Amino acid sequence: MTLLGIAQIVIFFALVVAITKPIGTFMYRVFKGERTFLHPVFHPLERLIYRLGGVREDEEQSWIRYAASMISLSIFSVLFVYVLQRFQGHLPLNPMHFSTPQAPQGATPMTPDLAFNVAVSFLTNTNWQSYSPETTVSYFTQMTALAVQNFVSAAVGIAVAIAMIRGFARHTAKTIGNFWVDVTRAIIYILLPICILATMFFVWQGSIQNFKPPATVQTLEGASQTIEQGPLASQEAIKMLGTNGGGFFNANSAHPYENPTPLTNLLQLCLIFVLGAGLTYTFGKMVRDPRQGWALFGAMAVMFIAGAFICYWAEQRGNPMVTSMGVESAYTGSQPGGNMEGKEVRFGNAMTALFTTVTTDASCGAVVAMHDSLTPIGGLVPLFNMQTDEVIFGGDGAGLYSMLIYAIIAVFIGGLMVGRTPEYVGKKIEQKEVKMALIAILATSLCVLGFTALSSVAPFAKDHYWNPPGPAIANLNNGGAHGFSEILYSYTSGAGNNGSAFAGINANTPWYNLTIGLDMLVGRFLFIIPALAIAGSLAAKKLIPVTSGTLPTNGSLFVVLLIGVVIIVGALTYFPALSLGPIVEHLQMLNGKLF
Amino acid sequence: MIKELGPGFRLTLIFTVVLGLLYPAVMTGLAELIFPKQSNGSLVTVNGKVVGSSLIGQSFAKPEYFHPRPSAAGNGYDATASSGTNLGPTSAKLLRGTTKMDDKKNEVVDFDGINLRIVHYCVDNDLPYESSVPLDQFKDSHGELDDVKLIKAFNDDKTRLLFTAKASIPPDAVTASASGLDPHISPANAEIQAARVAKARGVSADQVKQLIAQFTERAALGFLGEPRVNVLMLNIALDQKVPVSK
Repeated sequence: MTLLGIAQIVIFFALVVAITKPIGTFMYRVFKGERTFLHPVFHPLERLIYRLGGVREDEEQSWIRYAASMISLSIFSVLFVYVLQRFQGHLPLNPMHFSTPQAPQGATPMTPDLAFNVAVSFLTNTNWQSYSPETTVSYFTQMTALAVQNFVSAAVGIAVAIAMIRGFARHTAKTIGNFWVDVTRAIIYILLPICILATMFFVWQGSIQNFKPPATVQTLEGASQTIEQGPLASQEAIKMLGTNGGGFFNANSAHPYENPTPLTNLLQLCLIFVLGAGLTYTFGKMVRDPRQGWALFGAMAVMFIAGAFICYWAEQRGNPMVTSMGVESAYTGSQPGGNMEGKEVRFGNAMTALFTTVTTDASCGAVVAMHDSLTPIGGLVPLFNMQTDEVIFGGDGAGLYSMLIYAIIAVFIGGLMVGRTPEYVGKKIEQKEVKMALIAILATSLCVLGFTALSSVAPFAKDHYWNPPGPAIANLNNGGAHGFSEILYSYTSGAGNNGSAFAGINANTPWYNLTIGLDMLVGRFLFIIPALAIAGSLAAKKLIPVTSGTLPTNGSLFVVLLIGVVIIVGALTYFPALSLGPIVEHLQMLNGKLF
Repeated sequence: MIKELGPGFRLTLIFTVVLGLLYPAVMTGLAELIFPKQSNGSLVTVNGKVVGSSLIGQSFAKPEYFHPRPSAAGNGYDATASSGTNLGPTSAKLLRGTTKMDDKKNEVVDFDGINLRIVHYCVDNDLPYESSVPLDQFKDSHGELDDVKLIKAFNDDKTRLLFTAKASIPPDAVTASASGLDPHISPANAEIQAARVAKARGVSADQVKQLIAQFTERAALGFLGEPRVNVLMLNIALDQKVPVSK
């Protein structure tokens, strides 16, 4: 590790600290319905949407109606995306003629199982991509199906987090807000304005934004090169801010058009964390004790820093088998050293490790490196980040509501230790809340481990409809422990709604499309619905005064307890699987074993 | 639940129009207006002909040009198929390469592998190395290295060919990038190639090194990102400043 590398991580973190309060305060005002400096421009649009949508701005909803509205929006979202994809051959802005008889050779057909997987993937804010965009989807599909869900799924996450905060902030109340209003405000005042600015920044730095067909050029050596074009920058902005992560191109944020310079890389990193970090402050402000928010922020920050430095250390150390052939492993100022397989020169090891950690701390899933080519420990960090349910700043809204669920478990365990009814932010935590919290945490781990085990042994015959390559392990790109990691990573990423991949695995078969699709649905909705149930139950409770017996949840003791719970729950659940994957692979790498 | 279906349908439709059509259309208009060059792909023109994009790497194999990194995008720098190798650190294929049978039942290279790339990098750039078997034994009748033979020797479990560079190889020179379209190489990689390029162009290495220095980009704001050299831009400058004598 070098001073410059460490500086990049530290300065990025300082930026996150600096923007947390301003953006958190702004979100507080937006969801209180207060007037902001954006109202002169965007308020008319907000009112127009309510009028056309038949939404009553002042109507409050119980948690059940709030959840029903969320499900209604989700049903239409998934249908729209599915239909737009299946009919893309008949729709405009399809210069490569995908899904038509004139499709180029090697284009991926938009089969029903693939369209289902993509629809679920973008609905659930996962953006897992079992297809390669430049050979599968038209500009129209990118814009109207995928990018729209990038906005909507992020807004849904934010709305659910706000509803859950209201559960703590309100007392003896029957309602937790209005879903339609929360979603619309999240889009109009938060996501859209930031995206407009970010789009222009990306274009300034070199991202493309046009509707032209691919450009064919003759290279300096006389060969022909076809360079893909498209409306990329506008999608790039929401892909990062919405913690979606689904690339316009296959190489995602490693593609020079998606992420042309270190400056755009810094902006991408900030866009991933800004709303997750800001929401901790919004939480503190809404429950009238900002220190409660900073305590969550503190726990997240410690885990973020630890992950970033472990990943950076492992990647800079590189692969000893490659070093022994004469390849430089130390950074020298004129070359990056370390493990450069699957990395870009402009980002090197430090920025790549930082991005890898951030994108899996949050449920983003954009990548600047091929995670499949990371060192075993470098790849363990993103895996473990996702397995602890992405509570480190986390996906838009999802990070906060998941962390609040862990906070409930933490005070419950704390309460058991001292023998008192647990309390959190002035609310008694009782059987119902703890049950709901456990459903959320257990359902995802069951899905990840269950499907990973199934795919490790599923014995399909060759050319079987469900998995044409043969047994489910025939889809892997790597042998040995690393191959197992590819499967584990896929289902972890799906259930965590992350969407990054050990991308060597060929997941575009009905078996993987269906099981990862289910995995994503469970990971999304079996977190959101329990979160809303908790919100409804808490909102109905009385506020209880702080006494000398109350465990303070706004100080460092609670921060330590919370970190402990997140890591212990994650480690107890996943340690056996991790030891079969990255941990054993690390030992094999040190011993020069190849597969 | 039924009551919620109406707003669900209508808002999905409204969001599709506003965010899926209006937003990208307005952004495209603004981008074309303010940054027309970037929004259309930062294409580079030489003598009135578009030769590529300054952001997208392209293949170079001739000795008089700087060579880019190995690429896993299609058959190399295919800008319609961005991709990395997705091979992990314990992959025999990544380190030692693989061969396959082509349509005519000839054994050909399937994947070159890091070890073979090191061989070529050392030979091309005249770097010192140590080989357990003299490389001459892997040459074909034209005196060229036979890659298939080399890969088979690297994979031979009984008498494995051990080949180690005795100079420090910059890792970017022998590893594939994430996108397969990385436009850059490290300055150290460029420095090593300078002598070969200079010889092929019949000029002094210092002249070429001056150009490298001129095209080396440093970390943004003094700390962000890594030092790098844009291969296409450097090669265009070479053709203009020190053209190949024909």
